[in-house]
Amino acid sequence: MPVWIKSEWKGRGTALLLLCLFALMSRSSRAEGLAVTLLLSDSSAPYQAFFETLRQRLPASIRLAVQDPAREGNNSAVSADLVVAVGMKATEAAIAAVHRPPVLAVMVPKAGYDSLFLGQKTASGISAIYLDQPWERQVAFLYAVLPDVERVGLLYSSETRLEVSPLLNSVANRGGSVVAQSVQSADRLFASLEKVLSGSDVLLAIPDSRIYNAASIRNILLTSYRHEVPLIGLSQGYVNAGALAAIFTLPEQIAEQTARQIVAFDIKKGLAAPGYPENFTVALNTQVARSLEIRLPSEDEIRKRMRNAGEVGR
Amino acid sequence: MMVPFQYRQLSVVVFASLLTQVAWAADESSEQNYFQEFPVVLTASRLKQPQSEAPNAMTVIDREMIVASGFRSISDLFKLVPGMYVSYYKGSQPFVAYHGSTDQYARRMQVMIDGRSVYLPPISSVDWANLPITIDDIERIEVIRGPAAASHGANSTQGVISIITRDAGYLDGKRVSYTRGEKGINDISARFGRRGDTFDYRMTLAYRADNGYDILTAPPPGKSITQPQVNTLLNNENDSNQARLLNFSAGYHPNGVDQFDIQFGLNRDVQGVGFSDKNPTANANPYHDLIGNSGFLQLGWKRQLDNASEFSLRYYHIQQNQHETVPYFVLNTPLPGLIFQSAQTSRDEIEVQHTLSFSSFNRIVYGAAYRTDRFGGQTAFSQFPVTGFSGSFNSNEYRVFAHDEWRITPKFLLNTGAMFERDGMGHQNLSPRVALNANVIPLHTLRMGVSVAYRTPAMIEERYPVNRFFQFRTLYTGGAAIFRPLFAPGVLAVPDQVVTSPGVRPERLLSREIGYLGQFPNWDALLDVRFFSDQVSSGIHWNGFTLAFENEMSAAYQGVEASLKKSFSNDSDLTINFAHELANSNLSTLFAAGKSTTQPASPWISDVLGASVPRNSASLLYSQRFSKKVSFSASYYYQDSLQPYDRGSVDYQPIQRRVDVRLAKGFHDIGGMDGEVSLVVQNLFNQGYTEYIANNVFNRRSYVTFSLGW
Repeated sequence: MPVWIKSEWKGRGTALLLLCLFALMSRSSRAEGLAVTLLLSDSSAPYQAFFETLRQRLPASIRLAVQDPAREGNNSAVSADLVVAVGMKATEAAIAAVHRPPVLAVMVPKAGYDSLFLGQKTASGISAIYLDQPWERQVAFLYAVLPDVERVGLLYSSETRLEVSPLLNSVANRGGSVVAQSVQSADRLFASLEKVLSGSDVLLAIPDSRIYNAASIRNILLTSYRHEVPLIGLSQGYVNAGALAAIFTLPEQIAEQTARQIVAFDIKKGLAAPGYPENFTVALNTQVARSLEIRLPSEDEIRKRMRNAGEVGR
Repeated sequence: MMVPFQYRQLSVVVFASLLTQVAWAADESSEQNYFQEFPVVLTASRLKQPQSEAPNAMTVIDREMIVASGFRSISDLFKLVPGMYVSYYKGSQPFVAYHGSTDQYARRMQVMIDGRSVYLPPISSVDWANLPITIDDIERIEVIRGPAAASHGANSTQGVISIITRDAGYLDGKRVSYTRGEKGINDISARFGRRGDTFDYRMTLAYRADNGYDILTAPPPGKSITQPQVNTLLNNENDSNQARLLNFSAGYHPNGVDQFDIQFGLNRDVQGVGFSDKNPTANANPYHDLIGNSGFLQLGWKRQLDNASEFSLRYYHIQQNQHETVPYFVLNTPLPGLIFQSAQTSRDEIEVQHTLSFSSFNRIVYGAAYRTDRFGGQTAFSQFPVTGFSGSFNSNEYRVFAHDEWRITPKFLLNTGAMFERDGMGHQNLSPRVALNANVIPLHTLRMGVSVAYRTPAMIEERYPVNRFFQFRTLYTGGAAIFRPLFAPGVLAVPDQVVTSPGVRPERLLSREIGYLGQFPNWDALLDVRFFSDQVSSGIHWNGFTLAFENEMSAAYQGVEASLKKSFSNDSDLTINFAHELANSNLSTLFAAGKSTTQPASPWISDVLGASVPRNSASLLYSQRFSKKVSFSASYYYQDSLQPYDRGSVDYQPIQRRVDVRLAKGFHDIGGMDGEVSLVVQNLFNQGYTEYIANNVFNRRSYVTFSLGW
């Protein structure tokens, strides 16, 4: 705060001037562009990567303020033109506010996002960029990597939250079938795993940490490797651990798409409908492929095959 | 049986849980599922090398083939490897050899169980009956056809058998199994295990018994045997076997980088041994029991250093104690008293290894190992007017090795490696190997390889107890005619305390091969063909004139081997193996020159070694899975006629054919249990199948297995 104001003007004068200054700043900022408040669910690496990329990609005219969603009474979010909530925790906090600006939820799984509006048809002034891939893209990827797959294995638990009918249709359209096996409890995981693997050509991981977690991944990968059934994972981490391949969208890629949507929001003053990420990353484990004697196509070839299958993502 | 997926069911589950378990909702639909950190599980050393990249021809016998074969004994599985000769000296004493029959102590192959070398002194052969594992403990067997000393250590001359047992965590529950069948087949096993996030273990307790072979009741097929031949016919009807064993394997993996393993096993084996020979000569090996107690302990530590580098340390100890009590006969007259003989063998080895990837194109494995072998043997005569004899021997050896796998271009893979060893007798050998795999046309791999490997003389070859033999002869035959030399009384061999073959050196094998591996995804088929030329020089042979093992044998083996694997839909698999092989040696020249006593068993045999190799051999395994957990498999084994290397003409093996079938029905979820009933019929058509010794008649036999798991 400039000290000279205090020394020249006193009392009410000071307050008046500050008010004027604030109004001036506020006006001028509106003229420059949008005020965006960013709510990060967490400060871990993926969120930092998102923030860094978003900051770089936004035009200088757009003001970006970062806030911790856990902090009580985050009223400045209310005064922003748009809230970008990164992750589920931030999204829940953002939509909880009574008088709130429009919210763009990003890096949220579709199932998680949908669960927030259960029973409501639409939520106005809220949209999302999901983190997960649409089933059609996931299946196009699966068949681009492993064209001869007939039986796609899937493990699910009572906590699994997925709308799977598009998966079933998509696999069926390619002449395959989905072999699903429920996991009743954590200690029955491996019995279920043996069952699903004995009847599958590939195991498709789903976002359910009751099944796929840091403790269980070892046995899942070793068992599937023993059955010579490759695992299609959900992230680079899965591929590093020993999954054959994964398709996923990086926080950086979501950030780029978010930046474009913020700019579009600034022009149209409205949010686009919730949607899947436009861009995706492909990770392949060539060592595992070689060992399983699977001839992996190149990434370019995979993307080409996916485009031919009508999958437009980049 | 797997229920075909119905999405309505899943949708119900999905949405019902949303309403009932709100507490979980935040976690399970969180984006954190996509950002989880995982340890590297499938590390470079865990990943098996694909056949198209291996520097050697390799046959893999996997779990499904093991089950489909219906075999009860591990050694029989090698009938499914092209060019492998599997036979039995007695029902309880199998031996496995490559490149035709050998004597009953096949000792030119490396045999490993989880990296633990199990060929033991003093004979350097594998005692298959004394291995503390059952066939059901095996996950997979990799057989390298051809020398692989650079990667598998000393004695990997003709080939390497690498048995990989099931993972500590393969079983999460309990399983019991009972087998009952003809010829006294009576096996029972109990297994239990636990698979956890950081600790897995499994344990097997088993009892196995059978009464060995049937006995020859008529002359061998197509033969009318003369009295001298009858006299050489081994009557080995006492060939039953009972084994009680235990094995335990545990893995502890506290974090993503370290893996600690412990394995141990115990085996008590009682084999019926000895002969009731018809020839009226000194008989130091009448029917009796050979009792063996063996065990091992193996400790391993693997550490993942980063994504591309791994350190491993392994130590193991093997102990095998055997004893026998034998009555002694001279000219069919029992002498008073008994011979008590015992042998103690042990091996300790420590190996350190580092796997390092320079890039995704180049990977090197290097390391060193140190081994100590100990043998002690005692022979005591309870009332004999001779003192007993005993001996104890130590042998220390070390080796260093390096193996590089360089993907020069995506189409060319160069495997180079070498092992340097110093054996217990002070011989130093370098065994290099180079192989180039060319994948010029996708799915078709051409492999060219050259390698050199050495076989260290066995302790018994260096210290054959010739002095002891003379002692027996002069004492008990009084200079009268002796019909055959005594190697030693009973079954156990106690080497001489002094070196009796001072000049014996390691024998050398030079192997050259061209291999082709074709993958035909449209036909779901894999074809593996190998042309080879192996030359043995400085081969170790027995010279009955100098009574010593010498290095003047040379031999050559040429042939072609092929394997075809094909799947028909997802429910049936076919494996066909074929080998055509020719061999020759200088043994007849050595015999003529008075340097060898090995002579052909029949006048029409010009070369003992050549006649001991079946010109053509083949095996076929077909399995089919039907609905309702019913499965069927059939196998066929063919082997051209041969004259077993060191047997008389009476043991001539005519063409062998055999068909085995297996039929099984599984049950699922009966009171929380699952189970299976299976029937195996071996030699279904009773085709006069014999093995190695004419009296080893293997008539049709069948057995039923019940297993239950929960």
